[in-house]
Amino acid sequence: MAFKKSDVPGEDIRLAMEMTAKRRKLIDETPATPLVYEYGVNRLAKALHPGFVKAVIADKTPSSADCVKISLKPAKGEEFPYFRAGQFVTLSCKAGDSFLSRPYSIISSPKEALAGKLEIMVQRKGIFSTFITDEAPVGTELWMGEPSGDFHHDSIRDRKHILAIAGGSGVTPFLSMMKAIREGSEDFRLTLIYGARTRAHIPFDPEGFKSEGVDTVIVLSDEEADGYRHGFITADLLKECIDDDTSVFMCGPDAMYRFVRGELQKLGFDQTLIRSERNSVGDREVDEIRVFKLIVHIRDAVYELDAPNNETLITALERAGIPAVVRCRNGSCGFCHSRVVSGEYFVDAVNDFRRSADKKFGYIHPCSTYAESDMEIDIPIMDL
Amino acid sequence: MDKYDVIVVGAGNGGLGAACKILNSGKSCLVCEKHNIPGGFATSFVRGRFEFEASLHEFNGIGTDEEPGSTRKVFEELGIADKIEWIQLKDAYHLISEKEGYDYVMPFGADAFAKESGKLHPDGEKYIKEFLALCKQIREAMGYLGETKGKPDPKVMMEKYPDYLACGSYSVKEGFEALGYPKEIVDNLNAYWCYLGADENNMTFLHYANMINSYITGGAAIPRHRSHEISLACEERIHELGGDIWFNTEVVKILTDEEGHVCGVRLKDGREIESRHVIANCSPHLVYGKLLDSEAVPERAIKLTNFRKLAGKGFTVFLGLSKSAEELGITDHNYFVYDSSDNVAQYESMKTLDNTGAQATVCLNNAYPDCSPEGTCIVYMTTLFTDDAWSEVTKENYFKTKNKVAARMIERFEKATGTNIHDHIEEIAIATPETYARYCGHPQGTIYGYESQYYDGLMNRIQMVEEDRFVPGLRIGGGYGERLLGYPSSFKSGVNEAGRTLRDMEKEGR
Repeated sequence: MAFKKSDVPGEDIRLAMEMTAKRRKLIDETPATPLVYEYGVNRLAKALHPGFVKAVIADKTPSSADCVKISLKPAKGEEFPYFRAGQFVTLSCKAGDSFLSRPYSIISSPKEALAGKLEIMVQRKGIFSTFITDEAPVGTELWMGEPSGDFHHDSIRDRKHILAIAGGSGVTPFLSMMKAIREGSEDFRLTLIYGARTRAHIPFDPEGFKSEGVDTVIVLSDEEADGYRHGFITADLLKECIDDDTSVFMCGPDAMYRFVRGELQKLGFDQTLIRSERNSVGDREVDEIRVFKLIVHIRDAVYELDAPNNETLITALERAGIPAVVRCRNGSCGFCHSRVVSGEYFVDAVNDFRRSADKKFGYIHPCSTYAESDMEIDIPIMDL
Repeated sequence: MDKYDVIVVGAGNGGLGAACKILNSGKSCLVCEKHNIPGGFATSFVRGRFEFEASLHEFNGIGTDEEPGSTRKVFEELGIADKIEWIQLKDAYHLISEKEGYDYVMPFGADAFAKESGKLHPDGEKYIKEFLALCKQIREAMGYLGETKGKPDPKVMMEKYPDYLACGSYSVKEGFEALGYPKEIVDNLNAYWCYLGADENNMTFLHYANMINSYITGGAAIPRHRSHEISLACEERIHELGGDIWFNTEVVKILTDEEGHVCGVRLKDGREIESRHVIANCSPHLVYGKLLDSEAVPERAIKLTNFRKLAGKGFTVFLGLSKSAEELGITDHNYFVYDSSDNVAQYESMKTLDNTGAQATVCLNNAYPDCSPEGTCIVYMTTLFTDDAWSEVTKENYFKTKNKVAARMIERFEKATGTNIHDHIEEIAIATPETYARYCGHPQGTIYGYESQYYDGLMNRIQMVEEDRFVPGLRIGGGYGERLLGYPSSFKSGVNEAGRTLRDMEKEGR
């Protein structure tokens, strides 16, 4: 066969031969106006995902026996990004000889964040939380990681009614959702079941979050009081709160998740409609505490430190005062993705959210990994 | 060490390929990547019990162990072929085009594809065989041009590759008009248009014919561990060869000396690293608009960059479903779902947020059954926006807008295939042009680099590759490069630019 388009002999090939000259001429004729490399899309991407933002502690209010509400404002020249109600931020700062980071769910609504106000609930437990609640004075500057996490309502995946079940400071993401429903940035109904020991342990005022489409049921385990349920979050109570368009969201201790899942199973509730926020990975039980040597590469810098086998690698890094990237602290977000150069390690399957190629090539998330021998790892720099 | 022979800016496909090539030659190399993992678009992410492929639908040019394709050969040369496990795909695609009522599956393999085309038109088999013969000549001509480094013997070209020369100036539309094939055959051959994202008036015939030939005759494959496997294979190779790769490390300046030659890069934290050679795996818009000082950028570089057209802006819905593909009735790996086969009209309609008339959808389990837990499956749907419509979206309506578009795509797929998937969504993630801009910094969130245009197509770019570079010591490789977009193209573009960099160094006597 022969390819032929033009009836004029030689025309097809002549046109092909002229292509570069024509292109050259068209480039000549293009104006040399300054290049635009940032468009609305790029600006919005930056506004939604600014990376680390400097935030200042503006106020602290005790909200229950063991919780303190911390109000943050953006440092000069910074702004808070918009986010999804239910997301968390990670706060980082130097505390003593350590450089610490912890995730905290946001109480505020997305629109409040745009107005420069971001409140978080901090429960007094652990070294960083106690530092924030009791030691860091108002005016302290912190690094705040951008709002993250997928514990939020999704109009395609989730049902129109969320049965929210919370204990302790786990109520925080739902407070944000209730505010978001009230201000119109989210469009679903929410029933909150909150379990607490006594009224003194309730870290929020249910009256303050009331609006159309929002209901609150409080269950007290150690106290009987008017207007409150008594006992536990049982199948009977859950059944009252479930309609035919309900997804269940849970945030609280793991023991609560196990109990409520069991109760929901009694009702034959579809397990794929249950979502629970993951908790931080903490120390593990070991027969004998052993301290291994950990060599850490960050770009061309090398550090050597101790890594006890009962603590996550991120804990060892923080104690050594190394600013280590970390976000979720539960193994799922991949922000601390690091390369293992050598050594043995352990990741509990329930906290193992690594990609399959990461496992094949030996990559870890230090926030959910424990040393099993001396180790050498290469971690990404904290790009503040 | 604060000095390297070569610095690669960006660890996308092109940057990783370039770094492997440089290091294989014994030169030192540092890769700086803004994100915390390598790959650019070649990555994956985990949600709940699902691991989603971020971008790859199918990889062509891999071939089989017995008959390696051109990209596998490049992987072999670089020493990464053995690090990647490939899964061959069975069928080419399932085309559904509503207007014409098309609903059929095309197999891979020249004979099988031709035979199946006989069902579309009585002379279909004959046309396809003839078309593939033409493609073979195009492919051989390109091989010859490569061997002669763009300086072919005109006599050889006229004698051996006359058809290649004859179709050299034409668009896809003009090419198929000249061949005179019936509509059913042309529509079927045009099914792959969304992989290059330019309509038939702009897409060059040579490039398009070469691509579909590569798919039809060579088949396609996917890496077992998602495209993240390719990226980590490259990273491992970089370390084996003594190279460095720094993550969370944004290059904010490419530095030049008094003679205008590259002399290093400056990182976001102010640190400077010395090097006489930089290979940028990012857009020329960024390189000439931001990374270089304006005095180092000649006017013609600005003109050329303004001359080019930013290609399709990506949008993908990732679904983890709580039922198996079989239970849901999803039978194939790769679907093209079109409102019509008129790709000019499709392209036009995809300029606004109100239409997603073309989508390419993958059900990963139909290629790799164990990619998700038993009783579940992974489906992802990709479309393009052919204009900058997402720049109009505000913070406050962003989340609602993306869910609206995603819901429409899901509904469209369900209607086309007669399936119900929306009741079984356990995990969902949605990538918009904002997402692609966030991770890879591309202007407007384009995922296809510069769009193929009548006068900015594959052959034009290859022929003018030296003319299109301006700053001594600087080369730009990847999806914006001379081979245009796509996994094999962007990877090879990086490798080619690294090869040219090595020759530059040789000339300098270094």
